[in-house]
This record gives sequence, C-alpha cells and structure tokens, in this order.
Amino acid sequence: MRFGNVAKSLFTCLAIATVGVGYVWQKNQIYRTGDEIKKRETALSAAEKRNTMLAAQLAQLKSPVYLEMRCQQANLGLIAPKETQTIRLLEPGPEWDARFLPAVQPAAAQKNGKLVKPAMKVVSSK
Amino acid sequence: MKPLTHRHRALMVVTGLSLAFTALACRLVDLQIFRHTELSREAAANREQIVHRPGRRGEIRDCNGNMLASSQSVRIVAADPTITTSNAAVIARQLAPWLKMDEASLATRLTGTGKYVRLKLKVDEDTVAQIKALKIKGLVFEDQFLRTYPNGPLASHVIGFVDNDHKGVQGIEAGLDKYLSGVAGYEVIERDRKGREIRANRDEEIGPRDGLNVVLTVDQVIQHIAEVELEKAMAEFHPQAGVIIVSRPKTGEILAMSCRPTFDLNNPGAFPADARRNRCVSDVAEPGSTFKIVVCSGAMNDGLITLADRFDCERGAWSFAGRVLHDSHPYGVLSVEEILFHSSNIGAAKIGITKLGAARLYSYIRAYGFGHKTGIELPGEVSGIAHPLAKWNPLSISRIPMGHEIAATPIQMMMAMNAIANGGHLLKPTLIKSIVDENNVPVTKFQPQQVGQPITAQVCGLMATALRRVASPEGTAPKAAVKGYDVAGKTGTAEKIENGQYVKKYYSSFIGYLPAADPEISILVSLDNPVGGAYYGGSVAGPVFRGVAEKVTQYLSIPPQFPDVDEKKVAKL
Repeated sequence: MRFGNVAKSLFTCLAIATVGVGYVWQKNQIYRTGDEIKKRETALSAAEKRNTMLAAQLAQLKSPVYLEMRCQQANLGLIAPKETQTIRLLEPGPEWDARFLPAVQPAAAQKNGKLVKPAMKVVSSK
Repeated sequence: MKPLTHRHRALMVVTGLSLAFTALACRLVDLQIFRHTELSREAAANREQIVHRPGRRGEIRDCNGNMLASSQSVRIVAADPTITTSNAAVIARQLAPWLKMDEASLATRLTGTGKYVRLKLKVDEDTVAQIKALKIKGLVFEDQFLRTYPNGPLASHVIGFVDNDHKGVQGIEAGLDKYLSGVAGYEVIERDRKGREIRANRDEEIGPRDGLNVVLTVDQVIQHIAEVELEKAMAEFHPQAGVIIVSRPKTGEILAMSCRPTFDLNNPGAFPADARRNRCVSDVAEPGSTFKIVVCSGAMNDGLITLADRFDCERGAWSFAGRVLHDSHPYGVLSVEEILFHSSNIGAAKIGITKLGAARLYSYIRAYGFGHKTGIELPGEVSGIAHPLAKWNPLSISRIPMGHEIAATPIQMMMAMNAIANGGHLLKPTLIKSIVDENNVPVTKFQPQQVGQPITAQVCGLMATALRRVASPEGTAPKAAVKGYDVAGKTGTAEKIENGQYVKKYYSSFIGYLPAADPEISILVSLDNPVGGAYYGGSVAGPVFRGVAEKVTQYLSIPPQFPDVDEKKVAKL
C-alpha cells in the first residue's frame, strides 16, 4: 500500500517533470527553428539583391551604347552590314521556283537528275 | 507589561502577512485589471517593433525584354553618435575610404549628442559587407531602393525618372506609376538585447508586393539608332532642338522616340528642365508643308479632286485676301500629285479655298486628331492648337492648308501620316506592349486602338502614289530616298514665330514611311532652327530620315522592293 503511494507520487512527479522538460525543449526548438528561418530569409534576401544587381550589370553590358563603345575601344571595325551587302535567300517554295529554278535545273540535272533546294539563310558580306 | 503569548505573536504575523498580501493583491488588481491596457501597450512598445518593408518598384523593359530601368537594393549607412563619439577619429579613418568621404567631416558627424546621424545614402551591398567586416560598433544599416537606368541617357524622355520617394516624376515612370509602384508590407517583430530579431516571436507579417513590370514597344536597338542619327544631325546642323520618332504604322506602336537636348536618367538633376522636356508630346509648332497631306487627302476623300486635277500655281506669288502667298519655286500649272511632291503652298491653298472649303477642312483637321491629345501614355502631352471654325479669319483658309495658323505636336503629325500609311486608320500611339508580373505573366496587354478613320484606303493608295515621288529626284526630298526601298513621305519647312512675328528661323521636318506599298515603319524627323545654310526639310531632315531608315530596315530585316542582287550568284549559293 505504501509502496503504491510512493510509486504514484514518483510517477506524477516524473510526468510533471517530463511535461516541463518537454515544454522547455519544444520552446528551445521553436527558437532554434526561428533562427534558422531568419538566417535563410537573410540569405534569400541577399541573393535576391545580388541577382537584381547582376541583372542591372548584365543589362548595362548588353546595351547598344556599351557594345558600340567596346567595339571602338577594341578597334574591331565591326559595323552592321548595309542592305546592299546582304543577300537574302528565299524559302523553298513557288516564289523560289519561279525565280531560281531555271538557273539551277540544268546544272543539277547533269549531276544526279534530282533538284536540291537550299534552305533559307541570310548571308552578309562586307 | 504582560509578555505576548505565542498566540498573540502568531496573530500579529498573520495580520501583517494578510495586510501585505492584501496590498499586493490590490496592486496586482490595479496593474492587471485597471491599468492592463495601458501597461500592456507600454510593454509591447518596449519589446515589439514595426518594421516596414517597401515593395520593390517594377522594371521597365524594351520590347525584347532588355532592362531599361530597375530598382537596386542599397543601404543608408548611419551611426549612433552616443556610441561612436569616444572613438570617432579611428572610426572615421576606417570608414572614409569605403564611403569615399573626407575623414575630417566624417569624424565631425560621428561626434555628437544625438542618437542618429546619416553618414551616406545609396551605399551598395558589397561596400556594406566590407564595412560590416570591420565590426565597428554604433553603425546602423538601413534598406533603401535606388532606381538605376543601365542605358543612361537612352530613351530618357520616354522612360522618365523618379523622385527621392521613388515616385515617378516624368515619362513612363510617372505615366504608369500606379502599376510600377509596389505596395509596402510590414512585420511586427521582437528584438533581443543585442538588437537581433527573435524570429519565433514574430507577431504579424504582411509581405510587400513588388510593382509590376512594364514592357515597352520601344526597341533599344532602334532607339539607339535614332539617338545616334539625331546626334549626328545635331553636330552637323546645330539646331536648337531635334526630334526623331520611329513607329509601326499598322499598330501605332512607338519603336523609338528621341529628343535633343537630352539628359542622363541616372543624374537628371544635373540637366536643365528644358533638356528633360519630351518635345515629341509637349512642344507644338506649325507643321508647315507636312500638313498638306491633310488638305489633299481630305479633298480626294470627298471626291472633290483627283491626282490628275490641275491648279495654276501663279508662278510663285498669289494674292489672297490682301496678302501675297509665295512658293519656294515659281511653278505654273501643277497637278495635285505635283503640288504634293513639289510642295506648292499656292496649290495647296487653292485646293483648300476652291475645293474643300473651310468647314470641310476643319472637319478633316479634327478627324486627323489635331486639336486634341493622342492619348499616348506619357504625362505632359498637349493638344496642339486647332482654332474652331468661328475663330478663323479670312486668311485662315489659305494658310492652314500649308500648315500655318495651326500647331501640332510631332506625335500628332506622326499619327496623321500613319493613318495615310495604314489605309486610313487613325490609331492611338502606344508605348506599352504589356504589363507583366514578376514571373513574366502578362497582367495587361495593349492592343492597337483605332480612334478614327479620316480617309478611305483607296485615298491612301492615291496619296502614297504622290508621296512616293517626294523622295524621288524630282521631289523635295531626294536625299530621303533609301536604296532598294520604296519610300513615301512629305517634307516640311515652317517659319518659326517669335514674339508673335514670323522670323527667319525654321522647323525642318520630314515624315515618311516604307515600304510604301506595305508600310512596316514610319519615321518622323524634325529639327528646330538648323543653322549653317541649309534649312529645307528635304535637305536637313531628309538625310537623317535616310540614315535611320537604312539601319532600321536592316535591323528589322525588312526585305527591299528593289534588291540589288546578282541572281546568278544567289542561285549558285
């Protein structure tokens, strides 16, 4: 009977202690997790800031004003080709056939009897 | 005296304790019940802090997604002099190279009695990281946004800029401020003794909402072409001001809008207000001969004239209502087509007077959009001046057909020419392609918007026939011709008015489109008072038009109508 009472008391104390320790542990975990979240938020914010900064730098490097300046600095002599320096080839089709087929047919027929139509491309030359 | 018994002593202790506990209970009731609201607010104020999180302002991009304006996160570096005063000289020596400030003035700022002093604004994150590594006590770093424009002065009048509060002041920044502005959020946080946030105790958290991104119809490459050509024209003709607009006649989209004088968007305060004005929408001037397209197309639209009808141009001088009207060259009898490509003032006036009449001319002026705003998304647009019919004097009917006694903005003239180019549809000019969120999902898309149809497509075809010859060797602007392309356009040379008098200063302009049969682009060039001899629109603005058109057609891969190609060579390829 006395042992039973002691056991009950011990169990009650243990239960209260467990709840107490559990509560403290849980609180501690909440604060630790909060700190982790804060660290990650700070890192994310820093990464976003860096990203926008780099995007602005990239935009500056891609700007036509900057590219033109760099071309001049490096003395590359790069300029956009003029219309007269550009040859535009038509897509294979009726318009291509009408314009170029008579010129191509004899030479192609001599080789293998089949006509090969070129793919569209724009060739620029200085 | 009878000694106190054990019972009495116990009673005194109990009474004393009871009184003490009663007093304590009363105090607790007072604090916890009667003063609860006041004290809990005071406690929260000591513990909690409301931190405002500003929303990032949206970006402005060109039609290909290239960034034209964005907001960068920077910091304000501040100090608490109550902490820094004792060590001001040492801190100043450490900070001066990073903040690029004078050591002595920095030391003065770090010394004082206040709790807060700003040392420097707009310090970038990398510099802040370096300063933090110095582990200086008493420094505070606050978040701030800095609006940056990677292209500097490019399209400055279109993009505009913001004030210190990040509110749009001019251009698209002001016109679309409600979309670009973000919405600030806030957090209610608690800090520990070291000033660090206790994240687990964060109470309320309303995140900021970033502003939307605006995608313009402007193409930064075409804008650059326009800027370069305008700069060349400024160097060659030394005008007071200049304007180039490049647009798509079929949609009303503005591909480039350039003004001189100009300014750097990253430092607008360093330039005078005059340089910051967008002359394309806020300046009016008499358009001169470019306005002849209105009277001629109107008269043709009403079936009153054809291109072949002939008018006597009086050998260059004609008296009407007591005033003599002059042509730049003495022309005899000219057809309507010739009146257009020779730009005869007398011919245009006669079409207005003898065929169209004042009422019809006025109705066409309004139908082409003159006298009211075009509705472009830029603040500061003006309506121009188109006097109501009741205010016309007897001379008006002879002056207005040649572009005098009326004032228009460059954008109004551009849209009028676009109406002729696109089959008679008067479109609202637009600079906005779409508005997108941070994931590039469109929130709003802008479609071409027709505001009227002043003339029929058939009349547009007839007008194109005449306007093609303007850029031919017999027209007023042979220098505007673009090799390989069919160009239609009209020159304008208008005398300027100063203090109510015409003076020998001119607005030289050329508005044209190409290819004439199926227009892809239209270009307006206008120079205010070119000096050095040449002042005719064809001689001054014409070559600038050609310079822009050659490069833009190449960039946009607009195929030429008259290709200079060796077809045998092509066939071999």
